[in-house]
Amino acid sequence: MMSFLLRPNRPSAKALLLVCGVLGSSAAFAAKVALDPSNWGHPEGENCVSCHEKSSPGLAQQWHDSAHKEAGVNCLDCHQAEAAEPDAIEHEGQVIATIVSPKDCGRCHEKEYEEQAGSVHAEAYAIIKERIPALAHNVTGAAMQAAGCDQCHGSVVKVRGDGTLDPKTWPNSGIGRINPDGSKGSCSSCHGRHAFSKAQAREPSACVRCHSGPDSPDKEVFEASKHGMLYAAQRDQMNLHADAWVAGKDYTAAPTCTTCHMGAAGKIPATHDVGLRNAWNLNQPISYQQYLVLLEDGSKLELPATEKPPKRGSELEKADGRVAKVKAVISPDRRRAVMSMVCLECHAKGFTEGFMTQFDNVVELYNSKFGEPAEAIMAGLYERDLLTPLPFDEPLEFIYWELWHDEGARARHGASMASANHAWWEGMYLVGRNFYSRFLPEARAVAGDQAAAIIDPVLAESGKHEWLGEPTQANPILGWMPPPAPAADPMPAPAVEGGPSAASTTDAGTAVAAAQARAAGAEMPDADEPAAAADASEPDAAQAADQAVGNSADVEAD
Amino acid sequence: MIKLEAPQFITRHVLFALVAGGIGGVVFMFFLIEFDHYTSSNAFCTTCHSMTYADDSYQSTPHYNSPSGVRASCGDCHVSEGIIMATYDHAIGTKDLIKQMFGPDYDDPVVNLLHLPEAAFAARDWFRKRDSATCKRCHTLDAIQGTRANTAAIHQEETEGKSCIDCHYNLVHRHVPSEQTFKREAWNAMVEEEFGLEPGTAAKLLANE
Repeated sequence: MMSFLLRPNRPSAKALLLVCGVLGSSAAFAAKVALDPSNWGHPEGENCVSCHEKSSPGLAQQWHDSAHKEAGVNCLDCHQAEAAEPDAIEHEGQVIATIVSPKDCGRCHEKEYEEQAGSVHAEAYAIIKERIPALAHNVTGAAMQAAGCDQCHGSVVKVRGDGTLDPKTWPNSGIGRINPDGSKGSCSSCHGRHAFSKAQAREPSACVRCHSGPDSPDKEVFEASKHGMLYAAQRDQMNLHADAWVAGKDYTAAPTCTTCHMGAAGKIPATHDVGLRNAWNLNQPISYQQYLVLLEDGSKLELPATEKPPKRGSELEKADGRVAKVKAVISPDRRRAVMSMVCLECHAKGFTEGFMTQFDNVVELYNSKFGEPAEAIMAGLYERDLLTPLPFDEPLEFIYWELWHDEGARARHGASMASANHAWWEGMYLVGRNFYSRFLPEARAVAGDQAAAIIDPVLAESGKHEWLGEPTQANPILGWMPPPAPAADPMPAPAVEGGPSAASTTDAGTAVAAAQARAAGAEMPDADEPAAAADASEPDAAQAADQAVGNSADVEAD
Repeated sequence: MIKLEAPQFITRHVLFALVAGGIGGVVFMFFLIEFDHYTSSNAFCTTCHSMTYADDSYQSTPHYNSPSGVRASCGDCHVSEGIIMATYDHAIGTKDLIKQMFGPDYDDPVVNLLHLPEAAFAARDWFRKRDSATCKRCHTLDAIQGTRANTAAIHQEETEGKSCIDCHYNLVHRHVPSEQTFKREAWNAMVEEEFGLEPGTAAKLLANE
């Protein structure tokens, strides 16, 4: 498997089937362990159980209730180690390791081990490694790396010279953990040890520990979506304990995180490469679609689709500096096609395509209106030494960080998983608010007299910010209408008593227009289009205007 | 009537020698008891600076500060019970004194720590060979209750064929891995990191001894 090149940008049903072949084995669900049972059932394991039933009855009971126990897999089968391994310790006469790494699990679960290797999960620490010091060390302190960042992204587990695990790096079940045996990842990040229940891992709660909060509120997004709504209402129909858990076949009540990102659906096989079906990267200052490059050494790499795809057989340098040959390239279109095939188990093709278009439009809007201009403005300020290269020593850097990392990510994640609230109020609305009320004013302050050179051309080039140049646009949303041009009749009109707007102007026409706008706004809460509110020829608006003219004081009292 | 008569060879000189020898022997025994007692004390052991490092870790453990007020001294754990074995242990222990005087500079904290694993392995062997006899001076397996629910059950049901030291090592002194899983390079690196030494310094120090 994974032995042929898939040329991007030529979608066809045949190619799609090939992708299915590439993306997993022919089995439609998590692979059964192929090894002979003689490979496990270590005779000394019984002694572990006997003592741990007393010393740590909780974990012993979890194991007792597990499929592992049923299959005859005991403590030593997973925890046994060679004395030469860096984290090997002697324990009650046995040489063991506390940490059971993905490589250890992979002794039996080969397919899952291979799939998760190189995935965005397994690389979760490597991806943010360079970013950690700025926030975890400078802005806060190293204690936060252990208790914060590393708990999701994974730690570089340090075995001290005395054989103990450094508490700065352990306990840790971050999903990109760098293990003492060199493997990356942590199966126990999602699969609660020592029960390893597949039903538990299929629950959305398996993802919540990390995919929640301001920067990746996927728990909140899911719960606020129709998918989450149905899941909550129909959880008892989810068939979570099913052996093969194929969407559309074994369950149809609702999807969970696992369903779309990992699960089997129709002909799409399950995969432990969680990012495989993601066409976009949504967690960058600017989103880009990305190729998934499969390398000869079994690892993977994601590259922006803004560049040419690497050729099969060519050599690529990986994040860790090692070089590997390209085995196959999966285009964003292919990745999207696989994700869409999951959707098709429950949705029509047009519905699915329409949803994806809505999602793509949000990402493109974010990129072109906020992400790209903000990045260009920041670059301009850094290039001219108006900002120091040191991150987070200037308020603007926090503002920019939150713009894309928190608010911008929320908007994009909200759109990707159909939470209107997160796409808009928790997302793009905050992006806009930040951009216009915090980012731009602060950037102008930093730029000083160079603002016209650094900021204005960027805004003009994006072509999305012209509305700022029309400050007299109608304003029903905030209850204020600008006065129209002075009336032709120069006769002064008597001032309307009791109204602040009337008191603020001596022009009858102005007062009427202002009152009209207020009345229209007050009586037409849905009229959020300036044109609708301002157009007095509309029957409702005209009526409101009449009312305003007749008794403006009353209207205002409302 | 039986008349007790000393044998011919009990001359006055012999009698004198026996009495003097007997008294001398008793005095010597008292000396040994006192000697063993004194040389088992914390105060004696820490007269060598090198032993103060072991003392530091010991003072932070329940064997030094137990809620009940029982305090185990160096000798309580590291010197056998009974005058013969205690004397034997002290006689063997003189090798430590010789090493202290003519061997590496154990007073140096770096050198001391570099050699700690070998000392720990030897001490564990010593406990194992004696079936943890000195532990049992105070601890009785049948009486172990513990504070957690199943401590008593574990000590009753899970200890067959095991000696205290098999499970309970790294209790009092600085943590040293088991000999089976010990890695010299990792240990040296830890010492270098702890004392801010250049990598490779530890190996050089050991090679130059």
